[in-house]
Amino acid sequence: MVDGPVLLVEDDVSDYRLIQRAFAKIKPFVPMIRLAHGDEAVDYLAGDGPYENRSLHPVPCVLLLDIKLPRRSGFEVLEWIRAQDSELRRIPIIMLTSSGHQADVNRAYELGVNSYLVKPSNSSELEHLVSAFRTYWLELNEGPNLCG
Amino acid sequence: MRDRICAGRGTRPSSDLMPEPVLPTILLVEDTFSDAALIRRSFEKANVLNPIVWVKNGQEALGYLSGLGQYGDRNQYPLPALILLDLDLPEMTGFELLQWKRMQPNIRRIPAVILTMDSATSAVNAAYDLGANSYLIKPGNPEEIMRVVKIIQEYWLGLNQAPKLVMRATPDAS
Repeated sequence: MVDGPVLLVEDDVSDYRLIQRAFAKIKPFVPMIRLAHGDEAVDYLAGDGPYENRSLHPVPCVLLLDIKLPRRSGFEVLEWIRAQDSELRRIPIIMLTSSGHQADVNRAYELGVNSYLVKPSNSSELEHLVSAFRTYWLELNEGPNLCG
Repeated sequence: MRDRICAGRGTRPSSDLMPEPVLPTILLVEDTFSDAALIRRSFEKANVLNPIVWVKNGQEALGYLSGLGQYGDRNQYPLPALILLDLDLPEMTGFELLQWKRMQPNIRRIPAVILTMDSATSAVNAAYDLGANSYLIKPGNPEEIMRVVKIIQEYWLGLNQAPKLVMRATPDAS
């Protein structure tokens, strides 16, 4: 069992607030880092620029990644992570997107996503999803052990 | 008894557009008979009604996934929506199956969840490097196994958005 942090890459402010609220309802508390752009996610994971200090900016245990992001899309972030020579390439990545298009789903799996979740339209379903996400990825799943 | 999975199975009238889909199949790759029996029993007790196909090693799993021999009949042996994979297997290990799987068009999209007793970091890392979607430690007692299979079913066959697989019987698959 790990206690995070979870890195959420989500550009939409209202979606972010909804997700944050759903996370706030689950116990124990899951620390979350939120970034709005694909480029920022890559900088953060690489520990570049403002994210150099790992005690302030720890490697996340799991990524929740939107697809439609400014500058660098979720697919590009996913591709970048999986192409790394370092242990970073093993970080579990879960797409969390409003797109349920089969082409997007297939592409994400082809690029090596661990799982693909579609954002529910109402908050009680989102709370259920966030709680199931936590149980599965932070409690049950054996991660590659590089976070924190 | 609450049984929402059961309620959807075969009791709903068929849609006008397409036939009622059967529940997705789970492929269980496990060489130890008692473990396989326990896992299957746990799925039953947890009211998971998805068909579970049990194969004993990586080679058999490869045959099933490629549709070799009898497995060519995809109506009877459909491609699984989920692979539960032990690692330490005779003839072809779980690692070797992952390695083969990631090279196969279509089949490489099927989520593979490792279910093993092996918690060594090197095994976990190797599994992720070969494209495992998730890595679970097989619990030692039946109650815990039941909890785990229930979570597996809810997460992977409920919440998770599955890739679309090209089945030979589906002419419009893309």
